[in-house]
Amino acid sequence: MQPFQPVLLEAVGIPDGHGLASYRSRGGYAPLEHVLRDKKPADVIETVKASGLRGRGGAGFPTGLKWTFLPKDHPGPIYLCVNADESEPGTFNNRILMEDDPHQVLEGIVLSAFATRASTAYIYLRYEYPRSWHRLQGAIDEAYAAGLLGRRILGSDFSLDVHLHRGAAAYICGEETGLIESLEGKRAWPRIKPPFPAIEGLFRKPTVVNNIETMACVAQIFRRGVEWFRSIGVPADPANPRDPGSYGPKLYCLSGHVERPGCYEAPLGITARQLIDGHGGGVWKGRKAKAVIPGGISMGLMTESELDTPLDFAGPGRVGCLGLGTAAVVVIDDQTSIVDVLHNSARFFAHESCGQCTPCREGTSWSLRILERIRAGKGRLADLDLLLEMGNTMGMMPGSTICGLADGAAWPMKNAIKKFRGEFEDSIRRTNPSGWMVTDPVPALQIVGAH
Amino acid sequence: MPTVIVDGREIEIGAHERLNCIEAARRAGTEIPHYCWHPGLSVVASCRMCLVETGSRDAATGKITMVPKLVPGCQTPAKDGTVIVTDSPLVRESRARVEEALLIDHPIDCPICDKAGECLLQDYHFQHGQPQRRADLQPFHSRRRDVGPTVTLFVDRCIMCTRCVRFTREVSGTAELMVTSRGAKEEIDSFPGFPLDNKLAGNVVDLCPVGALGDKDFLYQQRVWFLKREANVCGGCATGCSIVTEHNQDTVYRLKPRENPHVNRWWMCDDGRYGWHHLHDPARVAEVTRRAPGGESAVDWPDVVSRLRADLAAAGGLAVAVSPMLTVEEAWMLAAVAREIDPAALLALGPVPHGGADETYPGGFTIRAEKCPNRRGVEAVLAHFGPGISRWDDLLDHVRSGRAKAVWITAAYPGPWIDAATAAAFAGLECLVVQDLFASPLSDLDGGGAVRWRLPAVGFAERAGTWVNAGHRAQCFEQAIRPPAGVWPEGRLLWNMLGRRGLYDPAVIRREIAAAVPALTVLGDELPATGLDLRIFQLAATESATHS
Amino acid sequence: MIAPPVPQRKVLTDDMVARIEALAPRYPDRRALTLPALHIVNADLRHVPLEAVVEIAAVLGLAPAEVQDTLTFYQFFHQDKPHGKVRVFVCRSISCALRGGDELLTGVCRKFGIEPYGTTVDGELTIEPAECLGACDFAPCMLANDDLLRNMTPETAAAELVKPRARAT
Repeated sequence: MQPFQPVLLEAVGIPDGHGLASYRSRGGYAPLEHVLRDKKPADVIETVKASGLRGRGGAGFPTGLKWTFLPKDHPGPIYLCVNADESEPGTFNNRILMEDDPHQVLEGIVLSAFATRASTAYIYLRYEYPRSWHRLQGAIDEAYAAGLLGRRILGSDFSLDVHLHRGAAAYICGEETGLIESLEGKRAWPRIKPPFPAIEGLFRKPTVVNNIETMACVAQIFRRGVEWFRSIGVPADPANPRDPGSYGPKLYCLSGHVERPGCYEAPLGITARQLIDGHGGGVWKGRKAKAVIPGGISMGLMTESELDTPLDFAGPGRVGCLGLGTAAVVVIDDQTSIVDVLHNSARFFAHESCGQCTPCREGTSWSLRILERIRAGKGRLADLDLLLEMGNTMGMMPGSTICGLADGAAWPMKNAIKKFRGEFEDSIRRTNPSGWMVTDPVPALQIVGAH
Repeated sequence: MPTVIVDGREIEIGAHERLNCIEAARRAGTEIPHYCWHPGLSVVASCRMCLVETGSRDAATGKITMVPKLVPGCQTPAKDGTVIVTDSPLVRESRARVEEALLIDHPIDCPICDKAGECLLQDYHFQHGQPQRRADLQPFHSRRRDVGPTVTLFVDRCIMCTRCVRFTREVSGTAELMVTSRGAKEEIDSFPGFPLDNKLAGNVVDLCPVGALGDKDFLYQQRVWFLKREANVCGGCATGCSIVTEHNQDTVYRLKPRENPHVNRWWMCDDGRYGWHHLHDPARVAEVTRRAPGGESAVDWPDVVSRLRADLAAAGGLAVAVSPMLTVEEAWMLAAVAREIDPAALLALGPVPHGGADETYPGGFTIRAEKCPNRRGVEAVLAHFGPGISRWDDLLDHVRSGRAKAVWITAAYPGPWIDAATAAAFAGLECLVVQDLFASPLSDLDGGGAVRWRLPAVGFAERAGTWVNAGHRAQCFEQAIRPPAGVWPEGRLLWNMLGRRGLYDPAVIRREIAAAVPALTVLGDELPATGLDLRIFQLAATESATHS
Repeated sequence: MIAPPVPQRKVLTDDMVARIEALAPRYPDRRALTLPALHIVNADLRHVPLEAVVEIAAVLGLAPAEVQDTLTFYQFFHQDKPHGKVRVFVCRSISCALRGGDELLTGVCRKFGIEPYGTTVDGELTIEPAECLGACDFAPCMLANDDLLRNMTPETAAAELVKPRARAT
């Protein structure tokens, strides 16, 4: 298929592509100069709204619209938090953007801060990205030295400080209010909403939280234009007034059982099959895919027959997945046990559950223990009904939890058991011939894997 | 008036009230179960037990639109047209699942857990839970560690409602408690070397919905279903927290705060909470003894009524110390009896104990330095009898100058209140009556040739009547327990000395006081459980001697 | 918040405190210095002992329990004793697990004679499981201090981990 000419990834492979000189030579910071000279914050918001850009962090909320939730005429300070906590399993595009083109991210940050009248931007960077730390800090230092950050940027009235704030390996710090709590120095327990961050966020001031890739898109929208952005991707369905469309290029992370794992830039809407076969060299070792995660583990699983689903914001939802998420596509071959896949997911969520609300704290732990027992050959068919019930009732969407981590834990359970029930049942019957039919509670495993 | 619809029933709420769904439903007679919400703490909506279905009713069309998911009742405001559904299958199943989740690892310690009988986990299990365990069977852990000198923690019983942690951060401002770790491994703890050690610490035990936090003072002392509960007022300081005395067979086992938005809100301090042990101290004065030139003899209470009056009348020159530990009614009767015996009797306010300075906490709670509950009430009575309000120093002058021949000291302080040097001033009196909880240098004064009465006094839970706190709030309370072995509370003795028939009834005295003393008019009607500010009906504010 | 006065610091050096204070102008609230302070201490000491928590709390004007609350949430900071000079995180999330991540962890631990989360007796190496390291393009992967080790096997990992390595940032 026709390869998409990288835009977000244009610096990859360029020697010193992460430096200021390279960025400028590719047209970088000229848009910023233009905006600061000729535009007002409201203009920038309108441009971003018009572009149809939707947040790239997982929720896909229209970015320009999110910025309009800030209170008008607030005396400030207003904060911009850039979510560089990228921890969704399978996802690594932010890492590449930060390591290979940090100035693209920075320019997007300055433009976004200008639009939202933020005076300080904190980049909350996960601990596990030391190279990104060094690259970003280097770019920030270059930007300050060149008058692109700090007081009166490029001679304008706009001032902005950008600070790196380092995380400590907790997935929930990627949830926007978990991030805010962590930045404030507390345990990262997501806040109840309302109030929403736009009204009361970081340090109880109006705050916008945006993803790294979203920032890069903002920079490119101002370099190449709204029309360019809207020419890429899947337009809104004219019959559905509530469909915001899926515009722009997307970084797809492909990993798992493929020949060529990697980050591939493509228009929103590429199908999983096109990504795997066209970019990833196909399923590895000549095997077939059993299941594919469309957008990070939280989104659940697609079956092999669902691989022609377009990976835009609407596609995965049509095949029972939670959504596009981070567009991290993980391929699982047909020689892998789905029980092992779900166990891995359950172990992740049990480890990362912040522990604040009962259904998630207890549900993630309980489901892990059930899956450990199934894997140890002591599973029952009745366990699948329990897991399905937890999957159906745990989450922000049914209203039983404060944040969406529980939905992320629930979806793989729901998808795996609904779409692969046969395999689960076979596995349980085979490994527990004397006990698969028991419906009463059974003794717990004495040893549970560390989580 | 805004109307809220709860399970199909309409209730009106105040136009300016800010209620959540739990509070609104309560008005409609429905209790939405909850663990983590508390009106005195921040809202966290983390237990998820209070999930309900909500919606709104269009004011014009009456059409009801429901929100398509469950919402926490604690964080959802009840406004005009809010529809709350607490009994749908969705809500019932949600509650059953929360209960189930909390019980997965919870050690079923009920047979050895103090909280049994007043445990929300137990109660909600029976009301809202499901009958069968579905989780794997496993042996339970039940570890115990102390988080401070007065509070113990049974770690594994905790359901992570975080009320205790929030209390130490928001109300006491001391931040000793923390959550450690993450997810299902979370535990409550205090930092090594920085124990839970503030004067409001005991409140975290009240807050704990389960048997995780325990009062060391109460641990294993009594099963709660044997406890009887009497609304009382703490006698520890001039704050006058509304409390509940919990007792069985005339023994106090613990005190709990009673909600009073005007005084203590939901809290009480540890000095008050654990300040009942003196009631059961075996060293209490339990017998009436009269020492006279002929020797010392015990006197039966009915005889005290006549013989005490006779001794005081014979001596003449009466001076009385009216203790700020007495009720308004007792102070009134004492003053009346004293003036009957000697119309020129000096009526003085007894010593007012002080300890340190007022301590105010970030949540607004104040422990007063004035360590008695009724100085203002006694002063109001003394101001009426006049002339003016005499104080302890005035009485001491009276004694030292020889003007006093007979002195009746009502004390009833829980601890030492007079030193030997001051007591010695009373040595030359013809007749000295000391009515107190414990022996003191005053009660043990050498008789010489004079008459010395030693009368038992009673403590706060053994008294009935009214106290007026530092904020001018009058609170009435009933007697909770009987004093030791036939001891007559001051009120009963004085009632009989006034010649009244039947059992002592403070309400009768209250009405007489209300009719006679403008400053105490509010006592004429039955007071609400949270008391009443005396100043409400003061038309002409005669702040004569009732200033602080 | 109440923080009892600390007469003299036993663990935090003046340099550490200076580095913490240098960040103070970035935030309107000193509590926000908590995580940066923990990292500053951890970078030097390779753990954050309880005494350090008390001292950090005093510097920030917090109660020790508040700092410890935050610290333990991350399940990241060792407290009893320093971790190895090289701290190795082995990814165990889905993309690495699909390509041998769990076997990599057990294999490399066995090669160095420790259990997961353990430290070698010479104090050189600590090996811990980690959740997705964000390098799924190089699965199975490990992070050893600042270095991303790509497409590892127990054998290649063992060879890598004996090489001298700069301290973590």
